[in-house]
Amino acid sequence: MDFASLVRQHQAMVFSIAWHMLRDRAVAEELAQDVFLSLHQHLAELESPEHIQFWLRRVTSNRALDVVRRRQRRPMVSLENAPEPVALTPTGDPLLGTALKKLVAALPEKSRAIVVLRYQEDLDPAEIARVLGIPVGTVKSQLQRALALLREKLSRSLGELGI
Amino acid sequence: MNLEQELKSALRRQDPSPDFAERVLARVAAAPLRTAPRVSQVWVRWLAAIAAALLLAAGGLEYRHYRGERAKAQVLLAVRIAGSKLNKAQRKVHMLAHRSNS
Amino acid sequence: MKAVGLPVALLLLAGTLPAQQVKWNFDKLAARASDSTEVSLDGALLQLGAKFLSDEDKDQAKIKKLVGGLKGIYIKTFEFKKPGEYSASDVEPFRAPLRPPEWQRIVGTHSNEDGESVEVYIKNDSKGIGGLVIISTAPKELTLVNIVGAVDLDSLSELGKHFDFPEVEVEKKK
Repeated sequence: MDFASLVRQHQAMVFSIAWHMLRDRAVAEELAQDVFLSLHQHLAELESPEHIQFWLRRVTSNRALDVVRRRQRRPMVSLENAPEPVALTPTGDPLLGTALKKLVAALPEKSRAIVVLRYQEDLDPAEIARVLGIPVGTVKSQLQRALALLREKLSRSLGELGI
Repeated sequence: MNLEQELKSALRRQDPSPDFAERVLARVAAAPLRTAPRVSQVWVRWLAAIAAALLLAAGGLEYRHYRGERAKAQVLLAVRIAGSKLNKAQRKVHMLAHRSNS
Repeated sequence: MKAVGLPVALLLLAGTLPAQQVKWNFDKLAARASDSTEVSLDGALLQLGAKFLSDEDKDQAKIKKLVGGLKGIYIKTFEFKKPGEYSASDVEPFRAPLRPPEWQRIVGTHSNEDGESVEVYIKNDSKGIGGLVIISTAPKELTLVNIVGAVDLDSLSELGKHFDFPEVEVEKKK
């Protein structure tokens, strides 16, 4: 497959990981572009379509984590005002979806990456552990904690909205 | 409410801007050539096969290479784990120092 | 030797003894853990692995330099199914060998948010740092790291940060 086709095949995946981690469309697109530029430079080293997909998930997640951590030292982006990109297919309850996305974006950075890889990419804990280079036990414990936190914060948010 | 289903729905993949791919390709075209020329995958496989045959003939060399690669993987894993834990502690200390100074 | 001279002699000897791996007994925890990871690299294996690190890859070149002066790296990670399957008293025996004057605790952190704690100990010798121990506890995970030799803490920490969030990394799919 030529490079242009690879970009078109994987652009939604790469952009969405960055978007759900960063909640800033412009920064997410910039990061996604950088990832594909790196892919072009390293394509010869990648052995299969699966390897390419793994590589893209790994590099995108790690670069997004890097941005999140830099931001924590110098907050710049208002998450409240982040515009919503168009979904590929209609989501369920838009109000709930928006609340969830914002709550996910407020999770600690590693938990955020784990939740995005689990629910956007449908990866299991072992695959997430390989992508992020952390023990699978850490993935499982952080995922459980993140879900508990999201449940608690969501029920509070929805309660405030009168839902 | 099924939270996991709602998360899958909320975190569904979304497309970037319509001209995203074109912008990437434009950047690639404008970037200076930094990579080694791509070698045909067929040649890479032939070279790997010849190399493996030579190594097999050398016997002991192959085993040492295997051990070396395994040791390298262990070194990388060890540094990753140790470095990650140490960095975590260091970050916490810096955070506390920053808070007490501000 | 006079009794009063013996402690002094031992102290002097402690500074000149070859750096050694901390001896821990993992049997009790191993019986309760759902999973464990072990890395055991003595001097010879470390140097063998270092030879295969690439000089062209920035991170690998840094690691090569870092491990060049080390005599061993020993890591044990235990994972547990549920929080509470190990306690503070289970961790205490791992701290026992790390006492002054040979060892010094330089960092102790705890996060209420995720329940994780990290303690860092360094071993003093005549040339500076002769070893490092990290004890990291989390509700369902315990990690023990022992590095023997003159370890560059800043480089190791920087690599750890970089490894957690690498700019470019390729892993061969098995």
